[in-house]
Amino acid sequence: MSATTELPTKEANLLKGHEGAVLAARFNGDGNYALTCGKDRTIRLWNPHRGILIKTYKSHGREVRDVHVTSDNAKFCSCGGDRQVYYWDVSTGRVIRKFRGHDGEVNAVKFNDSSAVVVSAGFDRSLRVWDCRSHSVEPVQVFAPFLRFTIIDTFLDTVMSVVLTKTEIIGGSVDGTVRTFDIRMGREMSDNLGQPVNCISISNDGNCVLAGCLDSTLRLLDRTTGELLQVYKGHISKSFKTDCCLTNSDAHVIGGSEDGMVYFWDLVDAKVVSKFRAHDLVVTSVSYHPKEDCMLTSSVDGTVRVWKK
Amino acid sequence: MGLDEDDFVFHGTPIEREDEIASRKKKAVAGASGTLKTLPAWKQEVTDEEGRRRFHGAFTGGYSAGYYNTVGSKEGWAPQSFTSSRKNRAGARQQSISDFLDEDEKAEMEGQSLAASSQFDTFGFTAAEHSRKQAEKEQHERPSAIPGPVHDELIAPAPESIGVKLLLKMGWRRGHSIKDVRASSDARREARKAFLAFSADENTKESSDSLVLETEAETSLGPQFSEDIKFSETTPVYVLNPKLDLHGLGYDPFKHAPEFRENKRSRLSASKEAGYRKPLSMKESLFGPKSGKMAPGFGIGALEELDVEDEDVYAGYDFDQTYVIEDEQPARPSNDNRLRLTSKEHNVLPGFGAASNSDYSVERFDPPKIPKDFVARHKFSGPRETETKPTASTPPDVPPPEDKNLKLLIDGFATFVSRCGKLYEDLSREKNESNQLFDFLRGGSGHDYYARRLWEEQQKRSGQSNLQLDVKVPPSVQKMTAETRGSLLGERPLQKSLKETETSSSSGGSFQFPTNLSDTFTKSASSQEAADAIKPFKEDLAKQERFEQFLKEKYKGGLRSSDSNRFNIVSESARAQERLDFEAAAEAIEKGKAYKEVRRATERPIDFLAGGLQFTSGGTEQIKDTGVVDMKTSKTYPKREEFQWRPAPLLCKRFDLPDPFMGKPAAAPRARNKMDSLLFLPDTVKAASGSGARQVSDLQEPEKEPEVEVEVENVERPVDLYKAIFSDDSEDDEEQQPMNGKIQDGQEKKNEAAATTLNRLIAGDFLESLGKELGFEVPSDAPYPEGTKPMEAENKAKGKPDASSERRPGLKEKPEEKTSSLKPVSEEEKSTQKREKSPRNWSGGNDLYSSESSGDERRRKRSKKDRHRNYDSESDSSSDYHKRDKHSSRSRRKQRESSREKRSGHKKHSKHYKTKDSSSSRYSGDEERKESKREKRRRRD
Repeated sequence: MSATTELPTKEANLLKGHEGAVLAARFNGDGNYALTCGKDRTIRLWNPHRGILIKTYKSHGREVRDVHVTSDNAKFCSCGGDRQVYYWDVSTGRVIRKFRGHDGEVNAVKFNDSSAVVVSAGFDRSLRVWDCRSHSVEPVQVFAPFLRFTIIDTFLDTVMSVVLTKTEIIGGSVDGTVRTFDIRMGREMSDNLGQPVNCISISNDGNCVLAGCLDSTLRLLDRTTGELLQVYKGHISKSFKTDCCLTNSDAHVIGGSEDGMVYFWDLVDAKVVSKFRAHDLVVTSVSYHPKEDCMLTSSVDGTVRVWKK
Repeated sequence: MGLDEDDFVFHGTPIEREDEIASRKKKAVAGASGTLKTLPAWKQEVTDEEGRRRFHGAFTGGYSAGYYNTVGSKEGWAPQSFTSSRKNRAGARQQSISDFLDEDEKAEMEGQSLAASSQFDTFGFTAAEHSRKQAEKEQHERPSAIPGPVHDELIAPAPESIGVKLLLKMGWRRGHSIKDVRASSDARREARKAFLAFSADENTKESSDSLVLETEAETSLGPQFSEDIKFSETTPVYVLNPKLDLHGLGYDPFKHAPEFRENKRSRLSASKEAGYRKPLSMKESLFGPKSGKMAPGFGIGALEELDVEDEDVYAGYDFDQTYVIEDEQPARPSNDNRLRLTSKEHNVLPGFGAASNSDYSVERFDPPKIPKDFVARHKFSGPRETETKPTASTPPDVPPPEDKNLKLLIDGFATFVSRCGKLYEDLSREKNESNQLFDFLRGGSGHDYYARRLWEEQQKRSGQSNLQLDVKVPPSVQKMTAETRGSLLGERPLQKSLKETETSSSSGGSFQFPTNLSDTFTKSASSQEAADAIKPFKEDLAKQERFEQFLKEKYKGGLRSSDSNRFNIVSESARAQERLDFEAAAEAIEKGKAYKEVRRATERPIDFLAGGLQFTSGGTEQIKDTGVVDMKTSKTYPKREEFQWRPAPLLCKRFDLPDPFMGKPAAAPRARNKMDSLLFLPDTVKAASGSGARQVSDLQEPEKEPEVEVEVENVERPVDLYKAIFSDDSEDDEEQQPMNGKIQDGQEKKNEAAATTLNRLIAGDFLESLGKELGFEVPSDAPYPEGTKPMEAENKAKGKPDASSERRPGLKEKPEEKTSSLKPVSEEEKSTQKREKSPRNWSGGNDLYSSESSGDERRRKRSKKDRHRNYDSESDSSSDYHKRDKHSSRSRRKQRESSREKRSGHKKHSKHYKTKDSSSSRYSGDEERKESKREKRRRRD
């Protein structure tokens, strides 16, 4: 079993500090740091390789559901139950701006490549794009409508997850669709999967989208044709938001399960290559290191674990 | 000399000269006699109302600072006189508080403090004397077993003296001092002396003399004694609540959160008992029943309401490490002081030892013995007859009847009855009174066989149910959820969808009877409900009834009663036709429900059946078709659809991409969903987020193919109006002033006038555009159907220079001319009443106004398009129409000045709009503002 040995299945570190559920754990761009956020309304910056908590960011009024760092590690954005998207400065820990406008909880945020824009996915069935560049230094914009310049509201239900490429915005929604908004072409491609989409993730070559559906299935779609390439089953994902992702080599598909397990599938033949118990409770998020074989998992049990091979 | 001295302060001791001393003396005499008018600073004294020296004391007890705030006088503190000689030794003087008090303060103290002089001291001689006498008397009375000094006389009972009683009544408590230490210690000492004297009395047989001696001896022991007494005074008698925490004195951490106090106490007690901490459960106490769903530890603010989103989706898992942590708490409170008394150390109290065996013992009662065969489950008598029915009377085994059909029927019926209970048998007996087939129920042929079969079935069932129950009764420690409780109580969870019930009922085999009779009732009721809600055959009541009957039978899967065909339909073919209809309708309903189930998540109920669609024999197919289509698509997932989507220009900019729609007109917002466009659901769409009003109008158009580029131009907001409102117009004025050179006389005057007109216009303009946006009719420039509009717009865009050149002279024309030309357009839209009031003026004013504004608007549209094409041309074009704006406003102003009636009509007009859509105006107003601001921003970019 050479496949399993190259997978990060050994626990390297246990990041403890969050009280209550940890809702997301994300590597930064180069994989040296990790940001986690959770029910305790805080965002924490870690060095996952040494297991050190570096900083705690507090400002959210409700639980924090997602966080994303810019590629230059200078800023990050977060979102959550308080219906706002926060734009933070990493080093000072200050909120640079709050983007208000969502009518419901915000489920996911992402920066674009140039970090000029934050895209957020909300419970209000919309994707919203916020401008980070305008009004340079003012700390908190009061009149957020100024900043909101694009709303994508063709979704029929909560948008759970969003992914950006250089030219596209891809959103996965509970209405069962994965919608790709191609800015360059001015097209919207809607791939209806028939099942609520919980989480989407894009392959590193950019050709496929992995969509975690609430029928305990991960589906791999070809992005150009919309064709269903593969289906991955075995884990449980029925009622909670659990993440899925691909390894950095695109060889395996990783999915968290509601029973605390983490599953590894072979990308091509969809076999379960490895599964192990990562947490006692629901695995809310998995994140894979951009270069090394290292993985982060977060769970409702309040812990974040770092896995290496 | 004297004068000079006044101004200086001298330090040190000057060498005195004779004449100076003399002069000082003189001065002092003068000061004493009050002749000296001004004293030097250090000599001036501040006095209080009593005439005592008072200095800068900030508080009443302020320190009497003296000479230049240093000491009391120039000389410093005067030492107390102290004299001691060999004959007259000065004793060691102890200081008391009275040494530091003023006279009046002492007097005050005297009034409050209660000092019993030794004369009346009840602790002292009198009490001691009394007790001594008493003891003596007693000694004489009874002979003591022990010779010599008797012990119980040593421990003479000190009676509760009247003094103590009085003191207690006056509020004195034991353990508190009555007056200052010295005095009371004196008294105590006296009492001690008395006691000692008394004890010594027995030995020496000298009553009074020895007492004096003893007293003298005692004095040497004074200090020690006094200390002892002091200690006893300050120590409280009872320490009911020993302070065990490390909080500051008097600090109550639970002052504002008494709920936690209870928690803490219970935890403490729990830890005392079991030795470990239990997690806090705040569920009951703190927030009431709601908070059960909240995540532990994370409350929301007091001003926020507990909402759906605050529910803890991860509830059910308990976080064992979440406590309310009190870090002030010491590691382990030493409340075992008291425990130690009883358990470990026996010699805590001097002179006392723990008894080896205590008389007091708690009587223990053993818990009652539970019989071995007791099962902790209550057996219900009643509906579950199978369990209670005595199985003693086993009916004899009877060969089945010859008739195969009858046998089958009996078998089936027996199974059914055994499942549903005896009640059902009775019911069906009643029901099938006349039916020959069911004779066996009334003792006819096959009755014996039926009885036997029934018994057998019951045996089988009871065995089964017992098994079931055995399985179901778990270790019983498990938490009881609603479902388990329901299953224990024999309830059935509500069916999720009709589809499921159908499949379950069909899969069960030939006879799938509901397991309980009550169940059948509830279920039929639910299906009844469904049938009631959906009345596809409203026009034909009889048919509707039959349909309901059909549904009931279908969903129940029950026995078809004999009278199901009581509706005598004339021909067989008609009946077949109707049945087909029914089936189709039922299927459609079902599908609709299933669809609804799917769509429930999207929060858009689609009750197209309740929405008034009627089923006719032909009409059902339509619905069926859509349903089928829907079902079919579900099989072919994933399905890709492609739409046109227009990214905002700024978005493209931020993504460093060229705008694919640069310069092209905005595409029509497509219909959101096939279903939506098919079913006209304006209200649900309105509920959707985003800009509601526009979507409604879009959706109400017939469905468009999304691929086709339908050129629909939205009603654009008048940008300049908003700019005029929201941006400061000083720069605009600067731009325009040179251009309007013709008209200007006094610039300030003009500016002012322009501002006022602008303000007036703004209101009207705003309302008008608002009305337009909401789809209301705007009198003159009719909101042409959207299909035709693009054409017009296109034309205008092409011939822009012409149009503008045409426009310009038009503006300079007199308003009356325009009125006449435009009159017919708006004629029919005016209410006749208003026209009667001021026919000509009103209409004219209105026409002019609306036409102008709409013209403005169109121009803006055009220029906006230009902007898309050519950013460079923006500035001059904008200034262009600023100018035009000015023109029009001016001309309008003239007109307004000329006739007041016009104004009033105008006003009325705007009011009219206001009332028409007061409910929605606010929202769209907001929306517009946003829009305009956005517009402004875009322009800046």
